[in-house]
Amino acid sequence: MNLALISHEILLLLLGVGVLLADLWLPAARKRSLGYVAAGGVGIILLVSLLGLLPGTVGADPTAHAFGRMFVLDDLALFFKRFFLIATLIVLLMTVEFADRVPAGIAEYYSLILFAASGMLFAASANDFVLLFVSLELITVTFYVLTGFARSRTESLEASVKYLIMGALSSAFLVYGIALVYGMTGAFNFQDLAAVDAPHLEDPIFLFGLLFVFVGLGFKIAAVPFQMWAPDVYQGAPTPTTAFLAVGSKAAGVVLLLRVLFTAVPAVAAEWAPVIAVVASLTMLYGNLCALPQTNLKRLLGYSSIAHAGYLLLGVASLTQSGQAAVLFYLGGYLFTVLAAFMVAAAVLRETGAEDIESLRGLYHRSPLLATGLTFSMVSLAGIPPLVGFFGKFLLIQAALAAAAAAPILYAAVGVAIVGVVVSLCYYFGVIRAIYWRTDSTGHPLTPSMTARLTVGACLAGIVILGIFPSGLWESARQAVATLSLN
Amino acid sequence: MTPALHHYLIVSALLFSLGLLGVVTRRSLLIIYMSLELMLNAANLALVAFSRFNNHLDGQVMVFFIITVAAAEVAVGLALIVAIFRRRQTTHVEDLATLKL
Repeated sequence: MNLALISHEILLLLLGVGVLLADLWLPAARKRSLGYVAAGGVGIILLVSLLGLLPGTVGADPTAHAFGRMFVLDDLALFFKRFFLIATLIVLLMTVEFADRVPAGIAEYYSLILFAASGMLFAASANDFVLLFVSLELITVTFYVLTGFARSRTESLEASVKYLIMGALSSAFLVYGIALVYGMTGAFNFQDLAAVDAPHLEDPIFLFGLLFVFVGLGFKIAAVPFQMWAPDVYQGAPTPTTAFLAVGSKAAGVVLLLRVLFTAVPAVAAEWAPVIAVVASLTMLYGNLCALPQTNLKRLLGYSSIAHAGYLLLGVASLTQSGQAAVLFYLGGYLFTVLAAFMVAAAVLRETGAEDIESLRGLYHRSPLLATGLTFSMVSLAGIPPLVGFFGKFLLIQAALAAAAAAPILYAAVGVAIVGVVVSLCYYFGVIRAIYWRTDSTGHPLTPSMTARLTVGACLAGIVILGIFPSGLWESARQAVATLSLN
Repeated sequence: MTPALHHYLIVSALLFSLGLLGVVTRRSLLIIYMSLELMLNAANLALVAFSRFNNHLDGQVMVFFIITVAAAEVAVGLALIVAIFRRRQTTHVEDLATLKL
């Protein structure tokens, strides 16, 4: 056993417990600023991790295992750990901005975000169905609470109960699937599963079990037909929760999907690639078409996140290294893009209290910075060059086309993706139109706080810089997927 | 006659299907939640049976993890259902329709 390998998670958990304890002694007026402490702590962990100073990341062999090979620390795990730390940092700052709308227990909100983040970090390293289940549940159960945190709002509670029922249903499927896979092979570990004799791959009970596991993971990333919870939960949850759900929870689902598909059952992945391509197409179509008539900004982003899950699955279905690297690149860009959108939503909508796109009208005259942030975010989500969203989609489609010679169904999926991009222009530009071309009758200048300005500025920088210089992120994404057994 | 592996598996599949049926057809949040627990326990039964008949202890350990996580999930879930009952005086799913198009 090597505790040094889980130093990221230990530090994050200590930080969460520390915030929870500090809540007991701090006077009520100063509890809000605990968020800065939490964000600072996450920033330090991120910095130390990037500098390679954390024990376990220095001089270790590229794939180190701990806890009986249940936990793996390789480049893929490190990529996602840093991804989750950046997301947590921005979400914590957003929460400080949002804190006056949480009636009580803001410090608990901060620590729950940290606990959910530690679940995501564990998920990034899962190499075993036991750790997969436990880390996924750590994320999901924490999110039930985070979604229902605004107890005074009926929508928040309702969203939380819906998430609870759908989430518990999907984890029941996941657990039953794990039981069947274990029963047929006698293994929980992903490498052991890959080494199991071929006859199992023909076994219907084994395949049924795997199907159930993918139901559980499909729920996390909101892929059709397990997407029905997403719009309601995105709309009803407090804005920082929605942002964290859109970025962190989805990415955790993606990394687990990659691990199961390409480490545990590569043979089945090759068989099932057409099914994944079909699911990806349906997801893109559903998300983009349902987003068209939306008037609520958060609900719109909920449907758009379903569509983006479809684009991600398109990369997964290509079964190539460059396809998976494109998935990681896409997620990296999506992080900044979506968090910018939710940060502006949290800053603007607290003035008006409403979440309609209409309430954004005239934003350009009220706060040019917030308007620019939301505009760039929408343009990047739509996939217009030269922003990062364009490169993400470009790389995904390129990878899918390169693999399409072997699996012609990918041509159809790419067609659907391009139609989806065109459809998505309509609703993303609906938001931009509201910002610039609607005159606001009651508009008064909005002065966002220093935190909001810094956060939106950082996200903007991420969107633009990764769009103009994509090679750094692309290289680290390529390096990260090298550990997956793919050609 | 001593029960064999497939007997346990049939019982477990029945439990899982009954739970799923309950989730789909019942309209009270509490009953739905109870049915979800039934589905989790179906998985537990399957794991224990596999573990016993394959002479492999990992499955039993997994059951402990599932029971612990399910307990945490129930604690959070019941708290949420109580919170929504206090606010709306109902636990019927038809009444939870604020978030619609």
